[in-house]
Amino acid sequence: MAVELRPPPARPDRRGGGRPGLGDTLRQAWREYRSMRTALVLLVVLAAASILGSLFPQEGVSPQRVDQYFLDHPALAPVMDRLGLFDVFGSAWYMAIYLALLGALVACLVPRSRALYRVLRSRPPRGGDLARYRTRAAFDTPASPDQAMAVARRTLRRSRYRLAVHDGGELAGEKGYLREVSSMLFHVALLVLLVGLAFGKAYGYRGQAAIVEGETWANARVGYDSFSPGRFFGPERLAPFQLRLDDFTNSFYANNTPRAFVSHLTALDLNGHELQSQRVAPNRPMTVDGVRVFQSDYGYVPVVSVRDAKGKELLAPQEVLTLRDPASEVSNGAVKVTRATPQVGLQVVMFTGLRTAPDCPSGLDFCNDPRLSRPVLVVLAYQGDLQADRAQSVFTLDHARLRPLGDRPLLLGPGQSGKLANGMVVSFTGLKQYSVFTLARDPGVPVVAVGAALLLCGLVPSLYVTRRRVWVRATPTGPGTTRVELAGLALQGKAAFEDELARLAQQVERGTLGIVPDRPG
Amino acid sequence: MSPASLATASDTLAWLAVVSYVVAGALFGLEFAYRLRWLGVAGLAVTVAGLAANVGAAVTRGLAVHRVPWGNMYEFSIIVGIITVTGFLVWVSRRPEIRPLGVFVLLPAVLAMALGGLVFRVPAGPLVPALNSRWIVIHVAAAITGSSVLCLAAVFSILYLVKDRVERRQRPPAPPLVAGAARTADRVEVDQAVARHGGVWDRMPSADTLDHLAYRTAAFGFPIWTFAIIAGAIWAQSAWGRYWGWDPKETWSFISWTVFAAYLHARATAGWRGRRAAWLAIVGLATLLFNFYAVNTVIVGLHSYGGR
Repeated sequence: MAVELRPPPARPDRRGGGRPGLGDTLRQAWREYRSMRTALVLLVVLAAASILGSLFPQEGVSPQRVDQYFLDHPALAPVMDRLGLFDVFGSAWYMAIYLALLGALVACLVPRSRALYRVLRSRPPRGGDLARYRTRAAFDTPASPDQAMAVARRTLRRSRYRLAVHDGGELAGEKGYLREVSSMLFHVALLVLLVGLAFGKAYGYRGQAAIVEGETWANARVGYDSFSPGRFFGPERLAPFQLRLDDFTNSFYANNTPRAFVSHLTALDLNGHELQSQRVAPNRPMTVDGVRVFQSDYGYVPVVSVRDAKGKELLAPQEVLTLRDPASEVSNGAVKVTRATPQVGLQVVMFTGLRTAPDCPSGLDFCNDPRLSRPVLVVLAYQGDLQADRAQSVFTLDHARLRPLGDRPLLLGPGQSGKLANGMVVSFTGLKQYSVFTLARDPGVPVVAVGAALLLCGLVPSLYVTRRRVWVRATPTGPGTTRVELAGLALQGKAAFEDELARLAQQVERGTLGIVPDRPG
Repeated sequence: MSPASLATASDTLAWLAVVSYVVAGALFGLEFAYRLRWLGVAGLAVTVAGLAANVGAAVTRGLAVHRVPWGNMYEFSIIVGIITVTGFLVWVSRRPEIRPLGVFVLLPAVLAMALGGLVFRVPAGPLVPALNSRWIVIHVAAAITGSSVLCLAAVFSILYLVKDRVERRQRPPAPPLVAGAARTADRVEVDQAVARHGGVWDRMPSADTLDHLAYRTAAFGFPIWTFAIIAGAIWAQSAWGRYWGWDPKETWSFISWTVFAAYLHARATAGWRGRRAAWLAIVGLATLLFNFYAVNTVIVGLHSYGGR
């Protein structure tokens, strides 16, 4: 933004007259590349490219929706995938844009810093013919030229001008270097930010893990439900600790919106010694060994056991992980009884507080209270082949070779048992909760924080500090009178500069009047 | 007062503010059309009254819910009204000649608030746990302020484009050789022509003034917007474990940031200064509006709790 300190544009061909050679072409291209116009175009292109990343589902943000997109558009999706449209912000072409922008940034910082260095080393230049400046002021004073110049020096210094006295007693002042300095600081901060971002991405990781109440979880690759390591993060770098979920509670407001979810989490070392204990809640993460642990989700774990008609145990009491629907707080899960012949699959739907007709919003036969007021497990039974040898979700049944068993679902409260159509007995023996945590390590955060702080520090002065030059001359015009002339040049904030210079002139004039002991009139 | 009656009071005050702004806007419009100064002064008085009602609406809402009153899109819209109108009043106090622009400032404020009240209104209620953080005070306040101010800058850019068009039509063909000197001379002629037989648009401040106004406003809003994004990143780091994740809201705030950065660069680039820069500001306005209305309601993301 600070055009004024750039070296002059395109010098004429030094060899004079001849055709421009390759060197000149390259020089010209380089000059074009580091020009503000290039930066401007690249900024606009970057913005346009980012729009693509919000139009299509992104692998890093919502992988399920990417999968759905593949199902919905089977012909188009693979092509889009090749083009990187499902991972715009990690794609080569997006990277090419921002690297080109950063390259242009560095390319423009080099000559700018050189120019700034030159300006800071040299003295404020002479004004030349003051009459040609648009902003001028002049007054007559009884003080001598030397006295007047001394006052002008003091006044300008008080206004934080850097001064130089040239031949013939001309005073030159300049200020507002902070604009260029902070503009450069802002641009360097962008680089720092990006370096920190890349460093953190490469050496950090993110993962999610679910822990059931009362259980202890070890921080190892296999314990994570999802795990996305940086390029240079080896799973062997996982900090050695364990987490125990002592308790999880969730509560709701009267209007059924969630009020709080809190996990009581204890960190242990590998020998089981307690390291620390903390309540982990949204916006209240725990830090263990450089890893941050965030509350991110929760769900219910009904405990179910199954016996056959003769009382033989087919399934020892099993903790059934269920998926919770955040809107209704109804959870879905599956129980796979592989030891039964034929095999039996139970689809279970858990209500936290089952309500029926009169207690529900009008038109609904039943509904759910999100509070754990009346837990009911609805069991739908199927029999046939579970196809358990094939990879499948733990939350659902593969219905391909299953047919319904009986025509009514079982409704079980905690501690209750019910009989299926084939005589099997399903028991709902207990209920626990699980809590899902996001674990993340990002060693780049301090660098990014410094970058962001520098960015803000640089931004405001780069927009608001204004660069000014002022020249003062004093010439004797007769016995006991001196004419003091001021002229100035503002590179920014020109509108306000008129007043500024007039004020400066006034201050100088008042100063010179003060030092003359026997002033006339 | 009970929370319920406070919430009712808040709703009433919010509508009172909207009505006042509509009346004030009409007064400014009439001042604009008939050059009656007292209409503008009356408009200013009604604006101040509306602002008082607007602030009252936010305060009572905050008291009713025991938290900062910017937890959802409806409350956000109320604050947008406060910021925009306050910003305008501050400007007018420094440069009274821009008062006729009031109609163009109040119009977006009224639209935002009316849309908030008609489409996104939610009963006063507590926040979901994810929003329970002191960062909501800082991040959201900065986001509302930054985006309102940047929108205002774009409104000035639109006015600049219109006025610039009017001026170019009126300007007598410039003598070809001394373009630089002719410019100021032209302005004087234009001003004289306006004084003789001015249409409605001629009473607007000059294109240069509007362009400058747009720049000053954008230069004020941009650091605030930058701060809002950084504060959001800090909050995201403590709430979600990552400071940046290309969530749709983050992506669009970055797009707006980039576009306004381009605008600020364009203002200092030969060939982009003036009209092209103004168009960038308008694109920026579109991205801000998209971010608030479309991303909150249509696009699925972590920030989707703004609506109903």
